[in-house]
Amino acid sequence: MKLIKKVVLLWALLFTAPVVAAPSDFLVTTDWLEKNLNNPKLRLIEVSVDTGVYERGHIQGAVNFKWHTDLVDPVKRDITSKENFEKLLRQAGVNNDSTIVIYGDSNNWFAAWGAWVFDVYGVKNVKLLDGGRKKWEAEKRPLTPLATKVAAGNIKVSDANNALRARLIDVVAVANKKSDTALVDIRSPDEFTGKIFAPAGVQETAIRAGHIPGAVNVPWGQAVAEDGTFKSPEELKKVYAAVGIDGKKPIITYCRIGERSSHTWFALSKILGYNVRNYDGSWTEYGNSVGNPVINTAGTVWGGK
Amino acid sequence: MAKVNYQINSSIPAFKNFLGIVVILIIAFILNSQIENLQGGTALSLSLWLGISFGAVLQRSRFCFYCLSRDFIEIKNAKGLFGIIVALIIGTLGYHLIFGAFLIDPIAPRLPPNAHIAPVSWVLVLGSFSFGLGMAIAGSCISAQLYRLGEGLLSALIAFIGIILGFVLAFLSWNFLYLEAIQQAPLIWFPHYLGYKGSIVLQITLLIFLALLLLKFHKKQKEINKTQKWWQIKWPTYVGGILVALIATVAFLRVSPLGVTAEIGSIARTSAGYFNILPARLEGLDTLRGCLTIVKETFWSNNGLFIFGLLLGSFALATFSGDFKIQIPKIKESVRSFVGGILMGFGSMIALGCTVGTLLSGIMAASLSGWIFLIFCGAGLYLGWFLRKKYKLN
Repeated sequence: MKLIKKVVLLWALLFTAPVVAAPSDFLVTTDWLEKNLNNPKLRLIEVSVDTGVYERGHIQGAVNFKWHTDLVDPVKRDITSKENFEKLLRQAGVNNDSTIVIYGDSNNWFAAWGAWVFDVYGVKNVKLLDGGRKKWEAEKRPLTPLATKVAAGNIKVSDANNALRARLIDVVAVANKKSDTALVDIRSPDEFTGKIFAPAGVQETAIRAGHIPGAVNVPWGQAVAEDGTFKSPEELKKVYAAVGIDGKKPIITYCRIGERSSHTWFALSKILGYNVRNYDGSWTEYGNSVGNPVINTAGTVWGGK
Repeated sequence: MAKVNYQINSSIPAFKNFLGIVVILIIAFILNSQIENLQGGTALSLSLWLGISFGAVLQRSRFCFYCLSRDFIEIKNAKGLFGIIVALIIGTLGYHLIFGAFLIDPIAPRLPPNAHIAPVSWVLVLGSFSFGLGMAIAGSCISAQLYRLGEGLLSALIAFIGIILGFVLAFLSWNFLYLEAIQQAPLIWFPHYLGYKGSIVLQITLLIFLALLLLKFHKKQKEINKTQKWWQIKWPTYVGGILVALIATVAFLRVSPLGVTAEIGSIARTSAGYFNILPARLEGLDTLRGCLTIVKETFWSNNGLFIFGLLLGSFALATFSGDFKIQIPKIKESVRSFVGGILMGFGSMIALGCTVGTLLSGIMAASLSGWIFLIFCGAGLYLGWFLRKKYKLN
């Protein structure tokens, strides 16, 4: 028996591919990442907002995805097509058995949005680096300007899973009380009440201010701790329970253009396991749509009163 | 500038020579302690120190595009322009070294981040020509106005008023120019067509050809015997060229390509904004590459610190070498500086940079736009020089 055990153990050691054991199913710590950088199963992807951030210093082995060309359709407003996404992932060396870690600047906003696109196309083993670039840099961990050359991968992605994505018709149904779904608006209180149409300096805006009827306002920042990491599941539960979001009914998250809401989508669906869809049309679609109800408590009028 | 045979005197500079350097270092260290903990503090701090180094190098090696060109036109001394070619050759190598790290395969439409690869259209031709004409009329380009201001040349202040006005005029024409030409204009980056190796070969061949051409026209200069102390002697322009290329390479690697007009333009855009004289939207401006002007949101910016550093560095070495001298402009010179400034401001705004941002950083980046700027800025400069001579405007 002993011999059999030994053989089995040896066999297991020899023939099991190096397994990336992540501390959580959906998040990895900076510490874990640094220790696992050389793991051949790991594929690291940076999705940052600012240009030149990746090139001037990224985590060793990371490849760069540009949110505004790689992950979207550059002509119509939509996420990238299945074919282009599969091609992108293969070029980035992603295999069917890869463990993918995504990170980025600005508190992982676009990294979380990337994670949502990965999820829509059914890619497994996708995790966020908790705290993103901000924490990695704050901890003075190493960065390199050398781009990563990778061998092409073999991943096959699934058809888009629209159950993760809310469309205008879905939120209009909630606004008209025809759907029992909770809406979480993660924009700033001033955008929510309608005092402003959009934060200063942004290009994309809507010609109506306010929010979708039935939405509660939980700015995205309430989901993160001081160091940029997600709050613990217990704390997150408390934050959202305080406004009646407890996971008992389906949830839709939205923001202005759909990217910061992915951050909250990630917290609610991945960390808390709730049933959540991200409305990527967000306020720039809803606030521009014709004939749908809006709540504007601030009374701001487009073009002036 | 005739050839000077120096007799090097090995004495030590007097205490007062060091005063400027000491004061500037104190200011720089205090400023550095204020900015390094801000968001993006590393880039801010690097910009300051790179600016100081750039100013010091420009001052010591008299790296003034107009003065060097005039030496060539008037007395057939090609050594100065040769220094610029040295900068471009070494910068080309430095840039391509970094391109290989940033972007392994130069496959279109991918471009290296923030490299000054500007759209090629008649607007670039117009901007380059206007800039060249302006720098000849004003007596030096924008970077040289800056380092000469550090030497005490007060007419530079008048030039800057003109430059800001030129920027405002360019903003007012921007939407027309953008929609008429820039929006459809191609970005031509040699590595897309030739790969990195081919791009290096093409660039260096062109630059060596230019150097040989200069050599053909170069005339041996009259020799003057002169005694100067070692700290008074100007560095040869090729030494300046080598150092400029190193600063340009480091700046591209760590912060962004060299340029001196982004901050000036931002100041122009922000202040013009207060008077509500600009169009509400400058179409497409924020999506282009080059010395772009943004509306100022934070007091300290990378480019602002770079320019401030340039002034500090030039002042420090000008006082050290005894070049510092307050020069109050006469009326004629003031008018020239002002008019030249307007032409330079207008030209550098629509060409998305000047002799530093579009010529140096553009050619080093193997962008066709840099070469176009070189040709038409040169043509404008020649016309300006000719007009000055003909109408005795000096």
